[in-house]
Amino acid sequence: MAEFKRPSLASGVYYQDPKAALEWLEKAFGFEPVMVVINEDGTLGHSEMRFGDGLIYVGREWDDDHKSPASLGGKNTQSIHIQVESGLDALVERAKQAGAKVLREPADQFYGDRSAMVADPEGHIWSFGQTLKEMSYEEMKVAGNRIDVRERL
Amino acid sequence: MAEPAVVPAVFYRDPLAALHWLEQAFGFETSLLVTDDDGNVGHAEMSFRGGAIGVGGEWASPELLGPAAMKSPLSIGGVGTQFVRIHLSEDLDAHCERARAAGARIVQEPQDQFYGARTYRALDPEGHVWNFDQPVADLTLAEMEQASGLKIREKL
Repeated sequence: MAEFKRPSLASGVYYQDPKAALEWLEKAFGFEPVMVVINEDGTLGHSEMRFGDGLIYVGREWDDDHKSPASLGGKNTQSIHIQVESGLDALVERAKQAGAKVLREPADQFYGDRSAMVADPEGHIWSFGQTLKEMSYEEMKVAGNRIDVRERL
Repeated sequence: MAEPAVVPAVFYRDPLAALHWLEQAFGFETSLLVTDDDGNVGHAEMSFRGGAIGVGGEWASPELLGPAAMKSPLSIGGVGTQFVRIHLSEDLDAHCERARAAGARIVQEPQDQFYGARTYRALDPEGHVWNFDQPVADLTLAEMEQASGLKIREKL
């Protein structure tokens, strides 16, 4: 843990069953546990997992305003994008074997990435990307269908 | 470090307003803005001290998502399914004041935590939860256990 430098930004994800989520995220995506805090009643208080230089927090539904998509008919207010350097197709296959629902199979995109989208067992949506070709915003604009691409507001 | 490995994507009813607000309140910088012919935000990215977030509008797609949908907390009674955590190296209290001045609802004022961080929690105008922390002491997991009385370990 000492050598792991905390990133500036991380996602926190609420689950009905956070302990099951910790195990599933390790098996399906290869997240590694960093820290687990167990409450006196044995429930999970807080936990952290890393993926390369990235970090996520896995927690429980701790009140009516913090819920899993499984409690909201599949609605998500945020999602998580994972950018990998290589092995996107194999990662999606591994997730599928672990029970992920593949919403979008890996496919090449006009902006130079290959990407895919999956849902975990509680309905959180994860997208994955791997850069195949570095493109400038000007090149993306030309490749896209009637879109404008710029660097600032 | 190459591109950030984990990028939170945050959905808004009004993503353009969110971009402006996140710049003003938290000091994020818009780094990519994709708009369609009508000027609607298709996709946007913001950067903050080496990290990145995605900002988008609400969307649904029965063929892709089935019954699932991406919604702002504003559209579903203030509920959220995820939050974003931002790691600051310094000046957490000043950051909180800047956010408050921009209209953030501070639901937890800056305070020191047993795990060696000072934290505050804010809601943005559409109700997304943003957690900020700044390290104040470098503690081992054993020291955190002692300070809290909780069981803290590296894995399940």
